[in-house]
Amino acid sequence: MPHRRWTIALLMLAASATSAGAQAAPTAPLQIPIDYRTLSNGLRVVLSRDTTTPTVAVATYYNIGFRIEPRDRTGFAHLFEHMMFQGSRNLGKMEFIKLVQSNGGILNGSTRFDFTNYYQVVPSHVLETMLWAEADRMKGLAIDSTNLINQQGVVKNEVKVNVLNQPYGGFPWIDMPMAANTNWHNAHNFYGELKDLDAATLEDVEKFFRTYYAPNNAALVVVGDFDPAATWQWIERYFAGIPAVPQPAKPDISEPRQEKERRKSRMSERAPRPALAVGYHLPERYTPDWYAFGLIDQLLGQGRDSWFYQELVQKRALTGDVSASPNDLGNYYNYDGPMLWTVSVFHDSDVTAESIVSAMDSRIAELQSRPVDAATLERARVKLRSAFYSTLEGLNGFGKADLLACFALFEDDPALINRLMDGFAKVTPEQVQRTAREYLRPTNRTIVQVLPGAQAAAAGVPSQGN
Amino acid sequence: MKTTTILISTALLAAPVVAVAQRDVPPSPGTPKSFRLAAPRTFQLANGMRVTLTPFGTTPKAHVRLVLRAGALNEGARETWLSGLAGDMLVEGTTTRSASQLAEDFASMGGSLFAFAGADETSVGAEVLAERAGDAVALIADAAQHPAFPAASFERARETRLRQLAIALSQPQPIALSTFRQAMYGDHPYARLYPTEAQLKGYTLEQTRGFWARNSGAQRAHLYVAGVFDAAAVEQAVRRTFDGWARGPAPLVKPPAPVSRRQLQLVDRPKAVQSTIAMGLPVLAPSNRDWIGLNVTNALLGGSFGSRITSNIREDKGYTYSPFSQVSARVQDAYWMESADVSAEHTGASLQEILREVDRLRTSPPTPQELRGIQNYAAGIFTIQNSSRSGIVSQLQFANLHGLGSAYLTSYVDNVMKVTPTDVQRVTQRYIDPAKMTIVVVGDSATVAPQLQPFGAAVP
Repeated sequence: MPHRRWTIALLMLAASATSAGAQAAPTAPLQIPIDYRTLSNGLRVVLSRDTTTPTVAVATYYNIGFRIEPRDRTGFAHLFEHMMFQGSRNLGKMEFIKLVQSNGGILNGSTRFDFTNYYQVVPSHVLETMLWAEADRMKGLAIDSTNLINQQGVVKNEVKVNVLNQPYGGFPWIDMPMAANTNWHNAHNFYGELKDLDAATLEDVEKFFRTYYAPNNAALVVVGDFDPAATWQWIERYFAGIPAVPQPAKPDISEPRQEKERRKSRMSERAPRPALAVGYHLPERYTPDWYAFGLIDQLLGQGRDSWFYQELVQKRALTGDVSASPNDLGNYYNYDGPMLWTVSVFHDSDVTAESIVSAMDSRIAELQSRPVDAATLERARVKLRSAFYSTLEGLNGFGKADLLACFALFEDDPALINRLMDGFAKVTPEQVQRTAREYLRPTNRTIVQVLPGAQAAAAGVPSQGN
Repeated sequence: MKTTTILISTALLAAPVVAVAQRDVPPSPGTPKSFRLAAPRTFQLANGMRVTLTPFGTTPKAHVRLVLRAGALNEGARETWLSGLAGDMLVEGTTTRSASQLAEDFASMGGSLFAFAGADETSVGAEVLAERAGDAVALIADAAQHPAFPAASFERARETRLRQLAIALSQPQPIALSTFRQAMYGDHPYARLYPTEAQLKGYTLEQTRGFWARNSGAQRAHLYVAGVFDAAAVEQAVRRTFDGWARGPAPLVKPPAPVSRRQLQLVDRPKAVQSTIAMGLPVLAPSNRDWIGLNVTNALLGGSFGSRITSNIREDKGYTYSPFSQVSARVQDAYWMESADVSAEHTGASLQEILREVDRLRTSPPTPQELRGIQNYAAGIFTIQNSSRSGIVSQLQFANLHGLGSAYLTSYVDNVMKVTPTDVQRVTQRYIDPAKMTIVVVGDSATVAPQLQPFGAAVP
């Protein structure tokens, strides 16, 4: 990411449920307008109008994330993202950035498991300029070794500020995928080893661009206050001539069913307190189990009414807060492969990890032993719906563009955004119980700990199995 | 009753486009659209509490925020974080609702109660589904006026704060900022970002409850509601649940007298691969006529991705990832600060480049073209900041805290556009003087100390 690591806040979707005890009728569910076309070169384009403010969000997504970066180049997908800001055919270094900012807009890029994205939020009247600029860098980069060396320095500093000079750096967002997954694509250090970052060459950059940064491997989304006819014309004009490139077969990124609990711990000299995370592999997306798990996340992990907060904080005072996330680098929707639900806490040294895990287990057992009562499930649905609205609005319309881009890219179906609620509405207490039994098995979980102390004591010798 | 209209102009002037031979030139921007937000309506209750309702957008949610003039400013010398601890207790139940009940009630509205204290204000509120805005107002009223302060919750909240304190002080950025604030503000409460562990352990339930009792009340409160909501129902809920609140104390006025001279402090962080820099100095308060000029200057100097300092130490030198400068305000007070985490071996070079960029702007004004780009950026950012429920509330809250009047927001973009290159140079000369800067570095002393020699005698 060129600037600061952004993370979309919580997310999830819910049904058009009546809220328990509501005094007023709930507003009808949002219907998001969608105009979806695929250009002749394979570029998937979604337009969605929203005239709340005279701004537009332009999001360009490439179907390349850090899961499938080259094996001897950990962190390369992310390093490459930085190179996209270093100059293209008609815009030299810093010119893209200045073009956006000097027109009153903001921009950023980020690299995630299954995509790399670039976006701008600008005043509406600058839309054509942005489309031209984004097309320019899809056509080709114009960078040299000075740019590469500069960004290797920047990215190494990014890893230092976010990981190496931090007491808990990488907890749990790098630690957990590395510990819980077995397939290299999901289990490597995607931020990158410093030596791999140093090893990157201009040739690597060119090859990566040629292979993955093709229109038929991308989606373009415009959300906001724009004129549809003019916008389609601009998109045709600037993007339609970019040639498609045959894509390599996607590697197998699947994870086998986990059959045995995993444990991993590391020492951190700078950490003053222990940190604990428990991760569970999630159900496959859009299955009935997956919809049920979305509600389980709300019920067990989100907010002060959640069962984990009530048990761990209010009742047992084992910690001060419980954080649960169905995707540590995004939300429940913007990924395309195996994913983990991660619950994490910071606690004092006189509280054992076992006492925390057992407190969580006591509430999981409740969910597994009998169908959850209707009012509690309904409250989970209300929370889900409200959080979903906030997800859509995130960053002035960019949150909506993010989901539309992912659904276009991964499902060829951006209209899914308007149907998700139906899936959550259908979840029954029995479905929740079945899903909890299969996915909240102790054998489906991984426990990761960061412990205060000198690294020599435990570095590189994670205890495996249980 | 007072009605204001926020009119934000997006009528930015066309940005300059750099044309280079043999290159295609970006298509010019079209005609800007004007942006008129629905008028916020402000009224006052008999007890002195003010209320501002702002309809916004189409997403069926409402942001409800009660802002109280109570924060770090109101803490005594041995009371750091007492305001935060009091805020923590507001989510722990009311005299008629347990903590669990309160949490469930908010959750059933699609929201979660937040309560946190800053330097000057404590915010208590929630973001809920549209149809529940009135209910949320009533619950927030209960949480603020009738908190239960249960003893068991207090023990846990204090333990949590002890853990947060230890974790914060294991990170270089909080250490740098608190050292910077201490060096600049001396004995004033703005100096104290963290208590000692012993101090925190000594806080009692009665002390915390006492802080809230002494510092809350209608006269210090302003309730904001923004988003989609039934205005009549919300107003009714406000009057029903806040009319009975005691007036309480008037806001405390206690401006600081920050130190404005070169001081250099090195905080040793053995083996740190990076140095964390916090450097800056006191500037003018938001009510000053140079305030907007200073903010534009800041965006040009270090406050945006394309700014001079960021272009230099990140995009040219590769010393750092996220350098950033800001103008940070409290009541009748503000400072300019550049912060950056730089490779340890480039600490001295980074300081030198940052100061060089400041000097360059003091020596000569920016070109009209460079300034125009930054003005457009500042104006655009302002529009984006006003494009969300919480953003609108924060803008109104800022204008009210600093007594800027409603014209501040409506004329902001125009005033940004009026800044001239000479203004930028003058403002930099007057307010951003390297000789008056406090410089704090958190880093590996063995590597860094020799690099700091050109910048003054370091106080460890």
